[in-house]
This record gives sequence, structure tokens and C-alpha cells, in this order.
Amino acid sequence: MSSNSAMERTINKVLSQKEAELISKMDAAYQESLNNLTASRGKLEAERTRIIESAKKQAENLKRQIVGSGRLAVRNQELLIIENAVNNAFEEARKKLTASGNKESYRTLMSSIIEGSVSSVGSGQVVIECNKNDYDLVKKIVADLQKKNPNVQAVVSDQPIDVLGGIRVKSADGTMTYDNTLDSRIERLKPLIRKNIAQMLRGET
Amino acid sequence: MPETVGVEYTKVAEIKGPLMVIDGITKASFDELVEIETVDGERRLGKVLEVGFGKAIVQVFEGTTGLSITGTKAKFLGKTMEMPVSQELLGRVFDGLGRPNDNLPDPIADKFLDVNGEPMNPERREYPTSFIQTGVSVIDGMLTLVRGQKLPIFSGSGMPHNILAAQIARQAAVVGTKEDFAVVFAAIGVQYSEAQYFKRSLEESGALRRSVLFLNLADDPAIERIITPRVALTVAEYLAFDLGMHVLAILTDMTNYAEALREISAAREEVPGRKGYPGYLYTDLANNYERAGRIKGKNGSVTQVPILSMPADDITHPIPDLTGYITEGQIVLGRDLFRKGIYPPVDVLMSLSRLMKDGVGEGKTRSDHMEVGNQMYDCYSRAQEVRALSEIVGRAGLTGVDLKYLDAGDMFEQHFLKQAPDENRALDETLGRAWDVLSSLPEGELTKIKEKHVRQHYKGK
Repeated sequence: MSSNSAMERTINKVLSQKEAELISKMDAAYQESLNNLTASRGKLEAERTRIIESAKKQAENLKRQIVGSGRLAVRNQELLIIENAVNNAFEEARKKLTASGNKESYRTLMSSIIEGSVSSVGSGQVVIECNKNDYDLVKKIVADLQKKNPNVQAVVSDQPIDVLGGIRVKSADGTMTYDNTLDSRIERLKPLIRKNIAQMLRGET
Repeated sequence: MPETVGVEYTKVAEIKGPLMVIDGITKASFDELVEIETVDGERRLGKVLEVGFGKAIVQVFEGTTGLSITGTKAKFLGKTMEMPVSQELLGRVFDGLGRPNDNLPDPIADKFLDVNGEPMNPERREYPTSFIQTGVSVIDGMLTLVRGQKLPIFSGSGMPHNILAAQIARQAAVVGTKEDFAVVFAAIGVQYSEAQYFKRSLEESGALRRSVLFLNLADDPAIERIITPRVALTVAEYLAFDLGMHVLAILTDMTNYAEALREISAAREEVPGRKGYPGYLYTDLANNYERAGRIKGKNGSVTQVPILSMPADDITHPIPDLTGYITEGQIVLGRDLFRKGIYPPVDVLMSLSRLMKDGVGEGKTRSDHMEVGNQMYDCYSRAQEVRALSEIVGRAGLTGVDLKYLDAGDMFEQHFLKQAPDENRALDETLGRAWDVLSSLPEGELTKIKEKHVRQHYKGK
């Protein structure tokens, strides 16, 4: 009987010791879990902030990229439209120039073109080419020029060239050519005139 | 435009390499632009190199392949080569001669500028002192680029200099001000795939809107390369000094430019200098590099980053050698780092930005910037020495401090130097990473940094 109660006491003692140990372990584990949770919360919070910041950065980049590309596309479209309008303006100008053959101003222009072109090719005999409509006018101006300056040795070619107006001067041996047709003058001045037309189209003048 | 421009000559006496000799010339000037028309009606551009005794030597930019003595016409245009400039150039892509390469019309010009530029009056130059952020840690932290500086990148064959160039072009910014920033990018003799990479990279990052691209491809005539940096720098000068923008001009690869110079020099039978390059290589390079800077009384600046690949990684080769005399420092890419898979493989111990000290610090970047940069140099240099030593005596033979330096060297490469090609690091992040590296050393080793900065930033306690 006494040995049973002693055994019971021992068992109870062991049990209570183990219980206390277990409770203490559980408390420690609970505490550790709480600590882990707190630490994880901090880490999670930091990770969350990092992800949000990174996403914000990406969104900002994407926005900048989309807005940038959009603006560039619009600007490029505008350039194409302006270029189209500039070409139309040149086309219109060409038509008007074709119809201006009889005007006094054109005769004056041709006179200065011929004088300048012949001297730019240099001394010696030169051949002058022009379009069919200007043939008589050019012949007359050359004759007047030769009267004024007998050193000018110029022959007007009877082979017409397909140009708006103006002349092309060649040295007699064909090694030098000076293209002073209206077509080539327009091409030469086109880059400068384009700016003026574009400014008009944009309402800047 | 004078009335007498545009005389056309048909008497071609000789075609030799990229040169054409025209006979019977009555009027021509040095550097005059010449339009050449082939028998098939194809037009090419050239410029007069020499004139006299009724002859003119013309350098044909697009090469003389397919030209014949008979039937070729040369029209002398009475002007030097000009580039039409306006703000509309931003966002445009051009070829190496400045002609549109983006299916858009010629730009409508505000004015036409001679591509040779006008020399900057030395008295009017302003000393560069403002920081440009590239977003690349090693550059911003240790080799800081300053507005108006010329800082070349010395690379080698096969190394990622073009990726770095594109990254700088995408990310470069002037921080803390609202002033306009633009990038002029000149690709000289690059492969088609590289040119597409540059273009796509700027398009996708939205940086094309503030950039102007000049693309001279490897299969374009070599002679065209003479003009590419000139047109690019002409545009850069216009954007900077007429429109008041801060312009970063990236020229890659200047070695291809020098090769083109050598080709012309050989064709002209000039007395060759070192490695066959002309004796005037230094002067010619200086003509390009000196087109960077700031001008007193003007807002804008031109900052140049020329990139050149050193043949056989030889830094004593005439091109890097002469470049180094003209520019204000250099960024050298190292083959060993490249082999270790580190991008950007900048060998900091061979690199230097001479103007960094004037562009960083309190009020410009951060008060500890210069000191951190110096300490990082010291740290990496010591780490390299310890690495060499450890190969002889082994790790076991190293002291505790040596081991710390060994680890700091690895951390320098992996945490500070290494960066993704699309990673844009702000300066604070860069300096933060530098402090991470320095904090792996004992505090007593940080002898180049003021105590107050150590107290504020050191993380190793």
C-alpha cells in the first residue's frame, strides 16, 4: 500500500515536473513564435514597401515610355503632314512658274540668269540650252548680250530641254556644265524656303 | 547662296581609293562640298581636299565603288558640308552623313551649320563643375561625369562597351534641376544588330524623344565615318549653345573613325606616322574632342563620352594614347572582369575622372562623395594586392585585416560594380552600396573619410 502511494507520488512529481517543463517550453515556443511574427512583420512590411516602390518605379518608367512614344508619334505625324503640304506648295509654285513665261519680270530674270551663267562657266565658247517656249527669248537676250560685250561667245542650242524655265550652259567641249534652270534653282533654295512655308502652316508668321 | 555655285565638271582624271581627281577646274575651294553623279544617276557627296593647277582632289564620302572615269559628273556646291539644325532633330534617326534614316522627311531647319564647327574661344570656356548622373554605380560613385567634360571609355574587342553606351544614353540625367537634357548618339562603323539595339533601347525606354541618333553601319563606306562625329557634334553644339540644353554626346567607336582617317591618308600617299596613322591624328582627334565644354554666359553644355576599342587591348596604341592626352580622364573596361561575368567590367584602378573633384560634394552631390570614392579606390587596390599575395601564401597565411580586404574586394565587384544593363541606380543608392562595402572593413581602415561621415554612414559596428 505504502509502496503504491510512494510510486503515485513519484509519478505525480514526474508528471508535474514534465508539465512545468512542457508549459515552459510551450511558453518559450509561443514567445519565439511571437518574436518571429514580429520580425517577419517587419521584414514583410519592408518587402511590401520594396515591391510597391519597385512597381511604382516601373509604372513611372512605363508611363514615361508611353507618353514619350505617343508624343513622338504625334510629332512625326505632324512632320509628315507638313512635308506633304510643303510639297503641295512647291507643286503649286511650279505650275505658276510654268504660266509666267510672258511676264516682264521673267524676262528680266532670264537676262540676269544668262549673264551670270555664261560668266560662271568661264571664257571660251559656250552652248546655252533652254526649253522650247524660252528659245526666242533666250536668243534675243544672248544677241543683246553679245552686242554689249563682243567677247561673249555663246550659241543657243536648238535641242530643247524639259525644264520649267531658266537655262543650262555648257562649255564647248562639254566638260563643264552650269545648271541654272528654274528647276535646279528651286532645288537649291528648297531647304531655305521649306522653313518659311512650314512657319506659315504652323501660324508662326 | 552665291549665283555662281553649282558648276558641274565631267573630266575625271583619276579615281584612287576614296579619292577622285577632277581636271579642268576653274573655281573650287578647300573643303567645298561636291555632289557626284554616277553614270546610273546615283548621287554621292564628297569634299575638296586639295585644289590647284586646274585640278581638285575630292574625297568621296560614300566611297568610289562603281564610279568610272567616263560619265561621272562632279558638281561643286560652293559651300562646306552643312547640317540642318532645329529642335525637331530630337527624336530623329539619321545616317552617318546626317540624312534621315527613319522614313521621315528632311528636318525643317532653323539654320544650317558647318559640320566642322567653330572653335570655342578658350577665354570664354567655363570650368565644368556640375554632376551628370548616369545611373551606373561605378561611374557615378568613383568616376563621376561632369557637365562639359570629355571622358572616354577605353574598351576592347568583344567587350560590352556598346551596351554600356546605350545604358548611359538611356539613363543619363541632370538631377535636381529642371534644365533640359538631351543625348546625341553617334554610332560609327557599328554592326546592323548593334545599331538596331541602340535604336530599340532608346525607343523602349522613352529616351528617344530627347535623343538624336546618327548611325553609320559597318557596311557603310569607311570614309563616311569621317563625317559622322562632326555632324553629331554640330547638332550637340546647336542644342547646347543655341537652345540651352545639357547635351551628352556619345561617340562609339572612335577606333573606326581613326581607321577611316588612315585609309584616306594612305590613299593620299601621306607620310605615315605610328602604326600607319597620319601624323595629324592627334590634331584631328582634338578637333572632335575639344568640341565639348561650357561657354560663359550660356546655359547649355556639351559633355562627350567617346568610346574606343583598343586593338589587342593595347592601351599604348596610338588611338587610346592620343585620346588620353586630350580628354579629362578615362574609363577602362577590363578583360579579367569581363571574363568573370561582371557588367560593367570597369577596371577602376586604370580609370580616372580628372574633373570629378570639382563636380561632387556638398551642394552638388553629397558631402561624403569624394571621400567615399577615394576610400573605395584604396579598398579595391588593397584587395587586389591581397589577392595576389593569397595566390602565393594561401588564405591561411593572411592576417585578419587582409582577409577582410579580400572579402571587401569580392563585395566591391559583386555588390557595387556589378549591375544589370537596365538597372538605374540613384546616387544615394550607389553611395549606400559603397558604404556597404566599406562597412565590411574595420572602422580604423577608413582613413580617407572624415570621422563625422564615418559616424553617420558606417554600418559595421
